[in-house]
Amino acid sequence: MTLFHFGNCFALAYFPYFITYKCSGLSEYNAFWRCVQAGATYLCVQLCKMLFLATFFPTWEGAVGAYDFIGEFMKATVDLADLLGLHLVMSRNAGKGEYKIMVAAMGWATAELVMSRCLPLWVGARGIEFDWKYIQMSIDSNISLVHYMAVAALVWMWTRYDLPTHYRLPVTVLLGLSMYKAFLMDCFVHIFIMGSWTALLLKAVITGVLSLSCLTLFVSLVHGN
Amino acid sequence: MLEEAGEVFDNMLKASFPLTFIVFLPAVLLLVSPLQAEAAHEFTVYRMQHYDLQGQSYGTRNSVLNTEARTVQADVLSRRCVLMRLADFSFEQYQKALRQSAGAVVIILPPNMAALPQDIVQQFMDIEPEMLSMETQVPVYFAVEDEELLSIYEQTLAASASQGTSSAAEVLLHTATANGFQMVTSGAQSKAVSDWLVTSVEGRLTGLGAEDLPTIAIVAHYDSFGVAPWLSYGADSNGSGVTILLELARLFSRLYTYKRTHAGYNLLFFASGGGKFNYQGTKRWLEDHLDHTDSSLLQDNVAFVLCLDTLGNGDTLHLHVSKPPREGTLQHAFLRELEMIISSQFPEVKFSMVHKKINLAEDTLAWEHERFAIRRLPAFTVSHLESHRSGHRNSILDLRWKVDTQVLARNTRIIAEALTRVIYNLTEKAAPSDLQIFTQQMQVQKEQLDAVMQWLTGQPRAAQLVDKDSSLLSTLEYYMSRYLKDVKFYHVKADKRDPEFVFYDQLKQTMNAYRVKPAIFDLLLALCIAAYLGLSYFAVQNFGLLYKLVQRVSWKPKQQ
Repeated sequence: MTLFHFGNCFALAYFPYFITYKCSGLSEYNAFWRCVQAGATYLCVQLCKMLFLATFFPTWEGAVGAYDFIGEFMKATVDLADLLGLHLVMSRNAGKGEYKIMVAAMGWATAELVMSRCLPLWVGARGIEFDWKYIQMSIDSNISLVHYMAVAALVWMWTRYDLPTHYRLPVTVLLGLSMYKAFLMDCFVHIFIMGSWTALLLKAVITGVLSLSCLTLFVSLVHGN
Repeated sequence: MLEEAGEVFDNMLKASFPLTFIVFLPAVLLLVSPLQAEAAHEFTVYRMQHYDLQGQSYGTRNSVLNTEARTVQADVLSRRCVLMRLADFSFEQYQKALRQSAGAVVIILPPNMAALPQDIVQQFMDIEPEMLSMETQVPVYFAVEDEELLSIYEQTLAASASQGTSSAAEVLLHTATANGFQMVTSGAQSKAVSDWLVTSVEGRLTGLGAEDLPTIAIVAHYDSFGVAPWLSYGADSNGSGVTILLELARLFSRLYTYKRTHAGYNLLFFASGGGKFNYQGTKRWLEDHLDHTDSSLLQDNVAFVLCLDTLGNGDTLHLHVSKPPREGTLQHAFLRELEMIISSQFPEVKFSMVHKKINLAEDTLAWEHERFAIRRLPAFTVSHLESHRSGHRNSILDLRWKVDTQVLARNTRIIAEALTRVIYNLTEKAAPSDLQIFTQQMQVQKEQLDAVMQWLTGQPRAAQLVDKDSSLLSTLEYYMSRYLKDVKFYHVKADKRDPEFVFYDQLKQTMNAYRVKPAIFDLLLALCIAAYLGLSYFAVQNFGLLYKLVQRVSWKPKQQ
């Protein structure tokens, strides 16, 4: 619509990241370059994923409007590389668990925000046509910040050598859930033909529940033993 | 103060976490109501006439448009694009919009014009010349309705109608939920087309006999006219005239191929262009024939010129003359034959002669025969209309369904029979008045008429659109050269210094309707986002509380 509208969307998308960085104490650790490194790792991982997908998953030429469940499932499985990447970032940083998790998640999510949402916002939200999808996209970026924090925490817990055996199962289940979250959401939206706002709300709720369970596990793991 | 606010927030967090989490998003979600976001709609619009004739400007003078849409019900129309539907269109509303200095007018035509009630058709036909008679500074466009355009119209109508009657809160809510539309045309500003050629086609059948045989010219202009050039299909005016002209060419070419029926008259067929612009094509044709060449058929011995105009409907026929024919002339003989044939063979047709003197003070000539009468050639026009002022001749609603093929065939027969009786002098040879010549092998072919009509009305034939290489003209030439000899084109170009007619381009454009929101909506959204960011700031700031809460909850079972 106007530059003002772009400003609105931009603020909605980026300020929560800024706030999180400033208030979580990351800025006091001088963690900026570490976050940038995490972002660079994100880029590498995405490149590898794309190469892999392009090589082994030819474009599906099915009927228009149909949903390729198996293909999408396989693609979601490739997202395993994200978990590896997060682990890589965390293993190269020394420090407390929370610090490692925050650096990895912030770098990762910010890199995603810059790479995948900056351009559409710049092109779309400034156009004449008004569309709610840019506001939705900005809200979605906030959700994905929470999502990556939870995933980073889960990866950290899973890779700990001193993880008690009775924690192993819930952590693995949660990891699997968050990895296939996007795929499951897509299926759900497709089957129940949901509007974009309902889908967004559902995504927020699911991410909230996942991160809350993750936080509970984390808290009891850190302070439990 | 911030601490106090923080405390309140802490308490809220302590009460239940999911509640606060769910408060953030729905706060934004509720303010922005769940509307389906649609892409911009793109549709074709046809601009109103834009031309100068004899130094006078007509129609809309502008083609660029970039304004927000409204309907006439809105309070303020200035610099807005006013949408109107043909079904509830009236000249008063149109004038009201222009008086309030509207930025543009878009008139939405129904997709199926044939289904329009007769009174609306009549009303619009009366309005059309009035719209064109005045010069309009803002662009006026016509669009054909489709589902999306109708939905845009209805949303705009709802938004326009609710203005000024609601409270401030309602207005605020309205800005968030309602859609505005920004109408944008993609084309450039209209400019005069230089060196436009108006083309006419001539063909002839030479009579049998000596050098200076009398000539009968049969003339019909092929171009159409309406409030928007791209919508002018001109079925009755003057597709019907051209159809009859071509059928007469076919019939007489058959008569002229046999020596026994080869008459002593030259027949000159002329499909003129620019007929709706004061008969420019005819004017040039006459100048070429009378002033420039040494000998031509029109110079020596012209029996009469028969103009065909608007003959596809109704049970009346009128012979328009500018001077009543004198007794003993061929003109008079033709009139007598017409009367006799109609009274003896087609009693359902009402026939009359209409006498109207040429008014040189008027801007345009009334009928095509006046062009010839000015040059002292005996001429008349046959038409089913009683007056040249009828809106019927200049309407975009003059479509294929306005022409009845039965009537067209009957009129062709009447004219053909009368012409034949004059050419072969049958009355003086004591042929009976109900002698039917064009029957059996020689009969008027309805399929042929229908096909020609279909072809003519298959495309808009406004003078601005038929350029000299257009398929319409080449097909017309091809058709005429099948039956006639010496078929050739005549071109008219307006004088550079003092042009008699000037056409303008950008008559068809693509218009985009962009969904937009008012500026106040952006402010409202900015407030909501600021509130949300404030909330997330507190949430992050006090994350420790959540942490402790979870710690307490998850430890309790173990202590028991």
